[in-house]
Amino acid sequence: MTIIEVGREETSGLSLRQRWSHYFAILYTIIMVIISLNLRDSILYATIPYENTQAGIRVFYPQNWLLDTDGDYVFRVRDMGQRDFKTTIQVQIIPISSESTVRNLLDNLAFTRFQVYAAYRQFPRPEITLADGTIASAVDYTFVFNNTDPFLESLPSVVVGQDIIVLQRGQAVVISYQASADRYDEFYPIFQNFLADMEL
Amino acid sequence: MMSSIRYSKTSLRIWSFSALLLALLLLAIAPTAAQESPFDLDRIERATVFIMQARQSANAPVVTCVGSGTIVSRNGLILTNAHHTVTNDNCPGTILIIALSVRPDETPFPLYQAEIVQADIGLDLALLRITRQNDGRLIDQASLALPFVEVADSEEVRLDSTITMVGYPGIGDEPIAAVRGTVLGFTGEPSGGDRSWIKSSVSIPGTMTGGAAYNQDGELIGIPTTAPIDRDSPEATCVIIQDTNADGLANANDDCIPMGGFLNSLRPSNFARPLIRAASLGLDVEIFNTSAIVSSSAADQPRFSRLFFSSSVNEAGMPTSVIRSLPSGGTSLYLFFDYYNMTPETVYELRVTVDGVVNPTFSLSPVRWSGGQDGLWYVGTTEQPLPNGVYEYTLLIDGIIAGTQRIVVGRSEPTPTFTDIVFGVEDARGNIAGNGYVLPVAATVSARFIFRNMTENLSWAAIWFREGEEIAGSRVEETWAYGTEGTRTIRIQSPTGLPPGTYRLDLYIDNRLSATSNLTLAGAQDGRFARIFAETRFTTADSAVEARTSPPITSFTAGTESLYALFDWQLMGAGTLWTLSWYVDEDLFFQQTAPWRGAETGEDFTLQLVGRDGIPDGTYRLELSLNNLEVASQSARVGIGQLPIDRFASATGVQIRGTILDALSGEGITGATVFIVTEDYSAADFMTAWQQDQLYATAVTDRNGRFEIDRLLEPEIQYSLAIVADGYVPILADGVEVTLDDNPVDLPIYMTRG
Repeated sequence: MTIIEVGREETSGLSLRQRWSHYFAILYTIIMVIISLNLRDSILYATIPYENTQAGIRVFYPQNWLLDTDGDYVFRVRDMGQRDFKTTIQVQIIPISSESTVRNLLDNLAFTRFQVYAAYRQFPRPEITLADGTIASAVDYTFVFNNTDPFLESLPSVVVGQDIIVLQRGQAVVISYQASADRYDEFYPIFQNFLADMEL
Repeated sequence: MMSSIRYSKTSLRIWSFSALLLALLLLAIAPTAAQESPFDLDRIERATVFIMQARQSANAPVVTCVGSGTIVSRNGLILTNAHHTVTNDNCPGTILIIALSVRPDETPFPLYQAEIVQADIGLDLALLRITRQNDGRLIDQASLALPFVEVADSEEVRLDSTITMVGYPGIGDEPIAAVRGTVLGFTGEPSGGDRSWIKSSVSIPGTMTGGAAYNQDGELIGIPTTAPIDRDSPEATCVIIQDTNADGLANANDDCIPMGGFLNSLRPSNFARPLIRAASLGLDVEIFNTSAIVSSSAADQPRFSRLFFSSSVNEAGMPTSVIRSLPSGGTSLYLFFDYYNMTPETVYELRVTVDGVVNPTFSLSPVRWSGGQDGLWYVGTTEQPLPNGVYEYTLLIDGIIAGTQRIVVGRSEPTPTFTDIVFGVEDARGNIAGNGYVLPVAATVSARFIFRNMTENLSWAAIWFREGEEIAGSRVEETWAYGTEGTRTIRIQSPTGLPPGTYRLDLYIDNRLSATSNLTLAGAQDGRFARIFAETRFTTADSAVEARTSPPITSFTAGTESLYALFDWQLMGAGTLWTLSWYVDEDLFFQQTAPWRGAETGEDFTLQLVGRDGIPDGTYRLELSLNNLEVASQSARVGIGQLPIDRFASATGVQIRGTILDALSGEGITGATVFIVTEDYSAADFMTAWQQDQLYATAVTDRNGRFEIDRLLEPEIQYSLAIVADGYVPILADGVEVTLDDNPVDLPIYMTRG
């Protein structure tokens, strides 16, 4: 005679404490992921304020981008860590007459760039509304960039740019964003944040 | 999603390790040799360019002339000759294409286009500015960071010192050549005094004209210069390289590039310094009274006459005496001659034979004329011993003999001589006063001269000329009765007054010219001196007309865009040579000598000084002179009265270049950025602040990982260095110091992925 012992089936292998431990572990992981994402974003989108009272602008530019205010612009920052063209955000102020229109300014910018940039092409785009409600004109363009050092063998890279133009107080504020074509979309949110925080 | 910027939070430990690694690398390449010469041939070769003058044809540019040039500023100023760059009959092109060799052993590659910013046809110097890419796109001058050389003071060049001449010997089909030689001597001319030409011991191909010669410090001391090769000349080789008439054949019917000949004459760098100074400061001078200075065109054939020798030249450029022999051991000898109908395009040449053998040291290869239309000129050998012998000097104009004169060196015979003519106004006591060669218009002019070895009853004569014509009744012919040695004064008088103009006194002994000198009579008498120019003043105005009524100003605000200089003049004879010079902080930046063509007396001669980006701060001085003697001068201050320091002006320092490599694969890293941080900040400071004004220089690697710092590092300064690349652990190093012993520094730097 064979005795078959049929044991009672265990309803659960985990104790209450173990179960709650699992819940906490999952929760902790989720929290850590959220914190990591926040931390990552805070690093990626960390900004530094810059103010130029003479020009009347206040902006927040990405941390660890090289700040340059010595050129024919009020402000320029570049991400020097990139391999090809260094993504650039620039603010330039151009004096205009009372009769000047955005169209005139865009034409002048195009005339200059046609002479300076290789393979320059311009694409119109609809007006955009800035964070403070200002309606600004915008234009997209592309050109080919190459290192100016004749002794180096640098390969040209295609750059995509966007100009946003605001006319105010007898001057035109030209906010430019330029990035290599393959990284333009990737860095565009940084430019959008820049625009959102900018005070003119 | 965004890609992360990984280097921003790299651990300090890894940075420290990287810094240590870099420091070790720097130590590894540290020189062990003793102090070496700062001569940097690599940099010089990089600064040497090949210039092609071209004209536009229907299909493509047609090269018309070629030559070499040298980059003399970071933003692309190129020093070269005028004859192959400025449009002329022989070189009719209007486009200037600049080619350079990326590596010294390679032929030049066209990269840029340039424009002429300053040129002097007679001196055969031109200063070009790179303005466009070769495809016609404009270049932002600020973005250029080209290797350049510094221009030395050519007065410091010494006889027998070693020089290196650098240029392109071919028509673009050969790499740069560097030829070593020594300074054989100097040739004097009125345009530049005793250092008008530097003679080299070696001859270089004529295509290297426009290049440069360097001293042992690697500074530019002269520009190898020869006259343009006439494409129709039998001596010329005209090379056909293009099908310029588009007939499908490159043959004798096509335009060719003239080349040929050899040269050993260098135009000293001091002639080029004013051009460079004006161009680098963006200064331009406009003369409104052009009718007063424009020379009439020379319709007749150019010619020389009255050739004679002198052993020395006085401060007014006049011969001290006329000699027929020179004692042994003489070191200077000048051939004087009158010239007529010369133009800056005229080519003249001096061939000297000693005992019948051509001597290239004392000869002057064909060069352009740097004097005026008519006048007295000299060309001479200075600062070098003259061997005994019979010297025959032959002058040529455009390849045709224009005059010959002989002299014996090594013979020393006491002969009766007149020397050292000086002019002046005689006072009641018989003293001669004045500045010697520029006197006020008067009824009487006196001349004093020294006589030696004279004997009684020797015949002598004095003849006065005005504008080359003998003055009627001025001739004195006597027998000598005034002793053996001493000084004597003679005079010319006119009851109606001597008119203004250029005079000459010839003194003869036994019908032999013994002394001669020119004199300028101009202006009213002001004590012992001539008052020619008056009311010299500066002002600002919207126009030249308005400037004439504007009040004088001596101190201008910073950023002034232009200023006017005005002066009145009186009793200036037609044809009187006068010189207009502009200085900034006592550095000459503009000079023009021309015969006076305006009214004899007038007011408000007007000049305008314009700055391309406003007139830089500085003390500006206008100087007016006649016969090399200053007769008027006026200064004005702009801004703080001192030129700003150009932080990119120095070409002395150490070039840092190298390759950035992946530590694992050993492959070059593309797009890495190298930052040189100024000595005021550490690398960590910079990586925290990321401010451009903390940087001394930057560089980005090419597709092979190669980089070149675009600014020379100064020795004995501790820089910091930071290298960043996407996907790699940044490298930081402080206390990076360079020495001139090892230049350029070529660094292999390895980066670790992170």
